[in-house]
Formats: sequence, C-alpha cells, structure tokens
Amino acid sequence: MPSDDTPAALDDIRVLDLAGEISQYCTKLLADLGADVIKIEPPEGDPVRGLPPFYHDEPDREKSLYWLNLNTNKRSITLSMADPEGRKLFEKLVATADVVVESFQPGYLDGLGLGYEGLTKIKPDIILTSVTGFGQTGPHAHYKAPDIVGTAMSGIMWLAGHPQDPPNMPPLQQGYTSASIIAAAGTLTALYHRDVHGEGQHVDVSMQEALSIAQETAMQSWDMLELLRNRNGERGMIPINVPGVGSYECKDGYVFGYVGAPGGAAWSELLGWMIEEGAAEDLTEEPYLEFCNNLNLRFLTELFRDTSTLGEKIQMLNHVDEVLKRFIASKGKWEMYEGGQGRRLLFGIASTPEDIARNPQLQYRQWLTPVEHPELRDTLQYPGPPYRLSETPWAIRRRPPPLGEHNAEIFEGELGVKSEELERLSAAGAV
Amino acid sequence: MAGTKMALDGVKVADFSWFGAGPICAEHLATYGATVVRVESETRVDALRMVQPFAKDKTGYNVSGYFNNYNAGKLDLTLNLNTEKGQELACRLVGWADVFLTNFTPRVVERWGLTYDKLSAINPQIIAAYVPMQGYEGPHRDFLGFGQVLTPVTGYNHLSGFPQRPPIGLGTNYPDYVINPGHTLVAILAALRYRRRTGKGQRIECAQIESSICPLGPAIFDYTANGRVQERSGNGLPYAAPHGAFRCRPLSPGSTAPAHEQWIAIACFTDEEWRALVEAMGGPAWAKDPKFGSATGRKEHEAELEQGISGWTAEKDAQTLMEELQRRGVPAGAVQSAREMLADEHLKERGYYVYLDHPEAGRTAYDGPPCKLSKTPGQLRSPAPLLGQHTEQVCKEVLGLSDEEIADLLVAGVLQ
Repeated sequence: MPSDDTPAALDDIRVLDLAGEISQYCTKLLADLGADVIKIEPPEGDPVRGLPPFYHDEPDREKSLYWLNLNTNKRSITLSMADPEGRKLFEKLVATADVVVESFQPGYLDGLGLGYEGLTKIKPDIILTSVTGFGQTGPHAHYKAPDIVGTAMSGIMWLAGHPQDPPNMPPLQQGYTSASIIAAAGTLTALYHRDVHGEGQHVDVSMQEALSIAQETAMQSWDMLELLRNRNGERGMIPINVPGVGSYECKDGYVFGYVGAPGGAAWSELLGWMIEEGAAEDLTEEPYLEFCNNLNLRFLTELFRDTSTLGEKIQMLNHVDEVLKRFIASKGKWEMYEGGQGRRLLFGIASTPEDIARNPQLQYRQWLTPVEHPELRDTLQYPGPPYRLSETPWAIRRRPPPLGEHNAEIFEGELGVKSEELERLSAAGAV
Repeated sequence: MAGTKMALDGVKVADFSWFGAGPICAEHLATYGATVVRVESETRVDALRMVQPFAKDKTGYNVSGYFNNYNAGKLDLTLNLNTEKGQELACRLVGWADVFLTNFTPRVVERWGLTYDKLSAINPQIIAAYVPMQGYEGPHRDFLGFGQVLTPVTGYNHLSGFPQRPPIGLGTNYPDYVINPGHTLVAILAALRYRRRTGKGQRIECAQIESSICPLGPAIFDYTANGRVQERSGNGLPYAAPHGAFRCRPLSPGSTAPAHEQWIAIACFTDEEWRALVEAMGGPAWAKDPKFGSATGRKEHEAELEQGISGWTAEKDAQTLMEELQRRGVPAGAVQSAREMLADEHLKERGYYVYLDHPEAGRTAYDGPPCKLSKTPGQLRSPAPLLGQHTEQVCKEVLGLSDEEIADLLVAGVLQ
C-alpha cells in the first residue's frame, strides 16, 4: 500500500456516485486512481448490497463480496433523492463536485430538475456521466436492460456457445463492466477537455454500443461480405477441428491450445514433446510424420483452397487429434501450460478461480490485494489492479464503506449541517 | 466536420502496437481528437491485416475489415525497427509524442530499445503505456499468447457456457476488444490529466492477464474469501429466474440453418416482472402454479420454467416479442447477430455505426465513438490507413526530415 503522501492521478477530482449496478465499476476505476468518490445511497442502502456472493455466505448489507469489490475507496452517505430536503443536500454537494455519475432511467434526473441542464445551474462546468443499457436517446432508450439484455442486443451473445445450446451470455456482468470502463474513459476525456477549455458536458454511455466492438470480425463480415458468423463452440474463426487448437481435457481440468498460430512453436515441437514422453504412437510414421510437421494455419488455408483432398485430410486431422487427446489426458493442466509454454507452444490453462489465486505469475506480482476489514476482524484478498502507474499507483487506500459511514463527516464537517438538523432530516427520511 | 471541437485536440500519440488491444486503445484516442501515428513495418506486418474478412474480391494488406475497424483516424508510418536508423527515428517520434503505446512482447520492446528508461531519457514527460500479456516482471513474463490463449488463462472459459460442456469460451478473443484497450485508455487519460497538473510523465503497465481478470472479480473474491470455486452455469443467475435465452421461430419457416435462428433473452428479477410475463403469455395454467410464485420457487424449478417459456416463444418473432415484453415492463432483448446490429433502428437513430470510404476496401462500416460526449462528440476522421500511407508526411511534418534524407532512408530500407 503506498504511503499517504504518494500522489494519485485523480486526487483533485470529486465524483458524486449515484451509480446503479451498471456503472459502479466506473466509479471504482475513478476511486482506485484517487478520486474522492462520494457514494450516495438511499437510506435503506444501495440495492447492490443485497447481491451474492456474501462473505462466509452470510447475507448482510455489509458482507456482499459483489458490492465490496465494486466500492473500494469510496465514501458513503445516505440521502433520498426522492425527498426535496435530500435533494437540497445533493445540490450543495454538486457545487463542490467535478463529476456526477448516474444510471437512472433517462429523464429521471431531468424530472427532478437535476439533469445536465439543472446541474449546470449549480456548477457550470460539471460533467454528468449517464450509463444505461441503450443510452439517453433513441427508441430503446427506456428499455429495461439488465446485463443479459445488453449482451444479447450487442451481438456478442450470438457468437458464444455450442451450436446445440442456446447462445451463451458471458460470465458475470460483462455488459455492465464494459459500459463502466467506457464510462470512465469518457468521463476522463471530458475532464481533460474541461481542464483545457473550462467547459463541462454530458457523457452518454450505452451498454449496447460499448460492447459492439467485441463482436470481433462479425460486424465487418456481414457488412463487407454478407457472411454471418454464428456460434460454433470453441472454434471461433476456424471452421473445422484442428489438432492442437481448442480445449483439451487433462487429468485435473482443461487447457486451451492454439498450436501452429503465428508467434508460437510449430506442431513439430509438440510432436517432439510427445515422442520424448513416448506418447506419439504412430505419428512418428508416414503419412502422419510429414503431415504433423506441416500442420500450421497456412497449411489450413491451403487446405480450403484445394477441396478435392479435403475428406482425406480431415480424416488425418482427426487421427492426429485423437493421439494428441490421449497425450494431454495423461498430464496435469499446470504441467501442460507451463511445460508447453516452456517449449514456446501456445497452450493456456483454462483457469478456475482457484488457479488464478495460485497462479505463480500473479503471486509474484502480488496481484491479489489485501484489505483490512476491522468490522469483520479479517483481511480480505481483493481482486487487484487492472494497471500499474509508476508515479500515481492504483491502490486500495480505504476499505469499502459501511452504509452511511460518512454522513457526519460530509454533512456536518463539509456542508456545515448542524447535528440537530441532521437528526431531524434523518427522522424525516431525507438522510 | 470542420469546426467540431475535439476533447483531445493537441495530444500526440506514438502507437507502436498491433493486433487488438493496443490499436483499439489508440483508435479511441484518435476518435476524441488526438493525433495518432501508427508505426508499422512491412517486415513485420500486423497479423490482423492478413485476417478475414477482406473486402469483396480484394486482396492485400489494406482490405481486412478486422484491421481497418481498429485503426480509423490514424496516420501510418512504416519503419523497420530492426535497423539502427529505424530505432533512431522511433526515438525522434517519442520525442514528439505525449503518449507512447505498445503491446509487443517485453523481449521485442527491449530489443528495439523502447523501454521506459530509454524513452524517458529522450522525453521526460512521456506517458509510456505497455500492454504485455503477462507483465514485464515475473516467472511467466515471456509466455506467449494473444486473446485466444489469454481468455482461458484469465478464467473466462471456465466460467462461461453450460456445465455439461468443456470450457469452450466465448467464441471470440473477448478481453481484446473492450476490457484491455479500455483499461489502458483509462490509465492513459488519468496520466495525461496528472501530467497537465504536475508536468510529470510516467510508465503505465496494463498487463493483459491482470486487466482481463478484473471483470471476473466477484468469482475470484468468492474463492479468496469463501474458498468456493465457482463453476459455469449457462445463462443462469442465482437471484433471477427466468434468466436465459429462449428460442423463437426461425427467420425462414422450417429452416434449421444457424443463421436463421432467432433467440430472445428474458430476465425477471422481481415478482412484478414475472407477473407481467405471465400476463404476456396469456396466463397459461402451468405458469400459475404456486411454485412459480416466488423468486426462490422459480429458481428451484428453473428447468420446468424454461420449458414452459420456450414453448411459448417458439412461434414468436424475436424482435416483435422483445418490443411487446419491454412495453409490459419485462426485461427482454433479441439475441442479435451482426446482421441485426447493422439494421438496428435504435443504433441507426443514434448514429452508432459509421460508414467510411476507404481507397482500397471501399465503403464499409466501422464501430463509431464508444460513448457520446455532448460538446466534443468524437469522430472517426478518416478510414484506416493503408500500410505506410503517411510515411512521407510523418517524416516531413513530424520528424522534420528533408526530401533527401527521406530518399536515403527509403533506399536503405529503413522506411519499410
């Protein structure tokens, strides 16, 4: 953990965080780079505090690991945006803020007089970042958009999964995460512009648009050639089974291979390894020997140019693949990954969360980040940094806040609300 | 669009990257106004230039839709970095730049003399962003890979798809396109602001293995805090049911072609949403069974629930059904293919996809600005560059070389 006087990239920025689930990773990114992020929760708490998994499986608004992961370095106050007195306090905070991040239905804040125009009356150079499923305008702007709706509508779900299964959603909340990353980038771009020209603006982020570029080549294939990419299991862009490409089962899990791709060692290297371990079977004999030694992506491209021998070649490919499957099945996944990479063979372990926690590279780099939780009398290992900045390091300086932890500090200490007044507001449900 | 304000106007970027993560990051910088010089070489052509799809009936390095989509708005300089003179010119470019970016492997970056200590000696204010696979330090530093291999290594494959299948992944090199370029972009922009305040540049390392895992944080946290190894669970969520993709009628009646499939994602998080769905289905008897009356009951009997819903969606058109369900307050979205994305009326109204005229590939679609800034909206100012298209221009205007010097460098094979 850097010392208190280590500078942070965004330590001059205050962010008011009205973010729902879709945009909490955005404000986390800003907070972990040093922004003062004030999380504004309704008096009953952010609903995301109710999402699993929970610490030791104890459902409790202070123990959602999902929420904790998204709320490092933030301060929490409670304030009801539905209550006029709550909104008065919010307005006072806006006057001190650089950025407001929100993800209400488009038009909700406008209805309260606190949309972009309303905010500029309080703070002329404010930046408002709005993150929703489909953005602020257009016929779908008001659609309900949980993550799966965003990933479905963005074209990426269509590409994922086995042809016999329904299309697969990506794991966890990739639509929310992608929208949040783009929102953080958009906010910082707007901040840069504000720094130079003194004007704020409204940043409009759509989960659907944020994800679109992750269709890989699918959009261009349709646009340029009217060729539609469909989900085809693990093959991605390759239309047939190719030995060394795809998932292989090991003794204790899976590895993924991409042998023969540019950059990595050739199939002959893999065959050499199999020979060393007495597992090459008849691949050391012709016609397989020469076939294996020529097996690369260029060979495959040629294969499809001359389709007359395709049937015969596919039989050979399948045989080689069977032998390879037996070889890999006799090995552990770490042995396959580290041993393969040691030979410059493109193999990757299909990591489980446990493998990630035990990954020697990540351990060496101390990626998992310990954070003390005095209330739990425990130190939790948090997912670590997405990036390392040499002068202004990413850091968890503050554990995520219990609900309303900073009410007194901010309302009384910063806004000068008297404590009796705060009690009255609290009793009235405003804070 | 002359006169359009650009947020990053005046920011200069030396883009020594290739494949996906680096070029996409630099493209976004260009979209919001930065001047980006993409450094390439004929001796080591970006593999994406050789990957399909290629413009109809065209061949060569300049017509790949894959490459072109990630490189709009850039100037392209070819430079042979395996020559001493090429490395010298690279240093001059770094002297000009505010931001340096590369995702070549540490070994190659070191060989070309592009490490931070060297660059900061030339330009102390440089923001140098390195986007290696595994990072510059650690026992796996020199492991090979790109998106296809990184996706399983970082846990995506294990956690995606249905439990009875092997970990087949997402059908794409998923973290290459938003997660890694996006994180890198955030770090660069934060560092740019910091530099503006303090005059200090810095080194950024966005190791793709670390960046890619972050979005899977809750599953990692569940292991470190609870010792639980989460497994893939199809399209399910523990706290919503239904939550999945349901088959609709094929686009052509009777067709079983994958391209003709239609699916709709439907998710109910509340009893209210479920009741609205039941009403939309016309209140069938099976759905009124009390066991489906609560979220826990629906989750417990999810297979039966899905069967019932699938029976109803099977004859529906996905887009029409989506509109109806959304009107009733049920979260729903058609599982769109690229074909539907390009025809999506909502995206059209927002002007998301941008069509640019490319001298060799013709008029093609590009992903537009990733978000909309009301006063500095961002713009793809030119199509992807041809390989080496701006070599002469960059040599003159950026590196300040004379015509004679350029001619000598060309003859010596430095500018290729």
